[in-house]
Amino acid sequence: MVLSYLRRAHSSFAAHVFDIPPRLMVFLFLLILLAVPITGISDYYMGILTSANVLAIFAVSWDLLVGRTGQISLGHSLFLGIGGYSSALIFKYYGLPIWITIPLAMLIGSLFSVLIGFPCLRVKGPYLALVTMAFPLILYRIVKWAPLTPIFGRVGIIVPSFFHFLPIRQQVIAEFYFTLILLFASSVIIYKIANSKTGIVFMSILDDEVASQACGINVTKHKLMAFVISGMFASLAGCLFVHLLRLAESSVFLLTVSFIPVIITFLGGIGTIYGPIVGAYIYSILDKYVLGQMLPNLLEQWQMTLPTEFEYAKLLIFTSIVVILVIKWPRGIARYTTDRLEDLEEARDLDERGPRIWKRYKQKNRN
Amino acid sequence: MLEVKDLVVHYDGAMALNGINLNVEDGEFIGIVGPNGSGKTTLLRSISGVLTEVEPGKKERPSLSGTIIFDGRRIDKLKAWQVTKAGIIHCPERRRPFSEMTTLENLEMGAYLRKDKDGVKKDLERVYELFPILKDRTNQMSQTLSGGEQQMLAIGRALMAKPKLLLIDEPSLGLAPILKESVLECIRDIWLSGVTILLVEQDVAITLASAQRIYVLAHGKIAVQGTKEELMKNRDVREIYLGL
Repeated sequence: MVLSYLRRAHSSFAAHVFDIPPRLMVFLFLLILLAVPITGISDYYMGILTSANVLAIFAVSWDLLVGRTGQISLGHSLFLGIGGYSSALIFKYYGLPIWITIPLAMLIGSLFSVLIGFPCLRVKGPYLALVTMAFPLILYRIVKWAPLTPIFGRVGIIVPSFFHFLPIRQQVIAEFYFTLILLFASSVIIYKIANSKTGIVFMSILDDEVASQACGINVTKHKLMAFVISGMFASLAGCLFVHLLRLAESSVFLLTVSFIPVIITFLGGIGTIYGPIVGAYIYSILDKYVLGQMLPNLLEQWQMTLPTEFEYAKLLIFTSIVVILVIKWPRGIARYTTDRLEDLEEARDLDERGPRIWKRYKQKNRN
Repeated sequence: MLEVKDLVVHYDGAMALNGINLNVEDGEFIGIVGPNGSGKTTLLRSISGVLTEVEPGKKERPSLSGTIIFDGRRIDKLKAWQVTKAGIIHCPERRRPFSEMTTLENLEMGAYLRKDKDGVKKDLERVYELFPILKDRTNQMSQTLSGGEQQMLAIGRALMAKPKLLLIDEPSLGLAPILKESVLECIRDIWLSGVTILLVEQDVAITLASAQRIYVLAHGKIAVQGTKEELMKNRDVREIYLGL
């Protein structure tokens, strides 16, 4: 009885919620995020949301490359690390302000993605995943290499935070807004790219490479373009992370970091661009709040503490979530919402079918 | 128009084509027949440049030697998209529609390289005229089309690129005999409208019925060539290669 009540409640809820146009939904989501600092939550929770913003940029860039172009990269932490280290090194040796190091780090990140793109694009599918996986591990060793310690530091390179001139509380709020603006800007740019003619070419490469070639598409060029765009935004995320942590360290190159965008994107919905943003918030709250705060507090009531190895168990939990999601809900959480939206639209007029992005693109270019 | 000279193709050491010489004149309808593994698809893929792309898991690229000349220009060193730009459109084996896109979107993908919007619109009308069923399926996802419709879509997509030379690979694959004939009928209509056609087929009978000249491939070589009458005159050819 309870179950049927819940089901009915859900469907009436869905009928109303999914009636909201997507643009308004995005706006509401943004409004809620913008209002977060006003609620006066503690710095720690603000920090969680700030890192969620940055993770969202990272995951969105991964989604463009993997979800939209089909070039599976399991070494995206490479770009995160390159962005972070190049920004930190520029600061260390030239002392340039952060406002200049960010675009420079993005430039260096895209240069690196061209360099790495060439060998990577000679292979496909699982081979590509393996090759991309190897690159961050190489850089990890280089950064850790003893003769280079004077450059990369023993624990890392210490950098100032973005708003080091402000008092601590305002710093946290400013960082949140700054990353939120960058997230908004970069996801809008990536979304626009993904829905442009270039983005549709990316989709066709994902769909069928031979057929794309037969249509006269320069597959290599477009794959490289996807690599560069993705690498550029991932290095922006890396650069932001370094300044949030105030430290550039070698652990960004670890394999576990490369799995974060995979987890986030599958949580939100692969190939949607907006999905990973939702996924990033869910992941960060699960990771830092539920597993990092709630669970230890709960256990403390029963005089128990989590073992230190729990950090590693977290990955286990998240990968299990991904496995379950891939089987039960392969299109992700955000995608589920838009699927319901499309169902509704389809119920309204059965003639207009096909993926949303194409409709948008054509409506724009029809007249 | 198209001239293939001494074309040799190896796949990882195994020879697929062993010295192919072939020429296609402007406005001709050429058929290529042959048994499985005789190199028909490889021949088309090497003309369109799709061949030299790396396949996953293969140690080496297929190696290609010999010359392919199209409209007085060497195309064997060109990439697939450059060959497409030159006017050779490949309608690949197993149709390969973009499964995540609708029929109309597939057709629009075919016109990717074209800049003349009016011409594209006109060609879209022409494709719909040729394959009326596609018009009914305009907004249907291409993966939900039937085999015959998918084949029509693949040919339509190739037509959208405004080909000078249309390479069609096994259009009858997996189709019922009646559908085979209607697809072939459509290809004939395309040819009559002025597109040069190079058709690869397993089905000898329907190819003989429509092509002007026929090359018979066997073991990577051209065994016999000639018009339908010439081939049918020779009893050995008829029995060994054509099975008629």
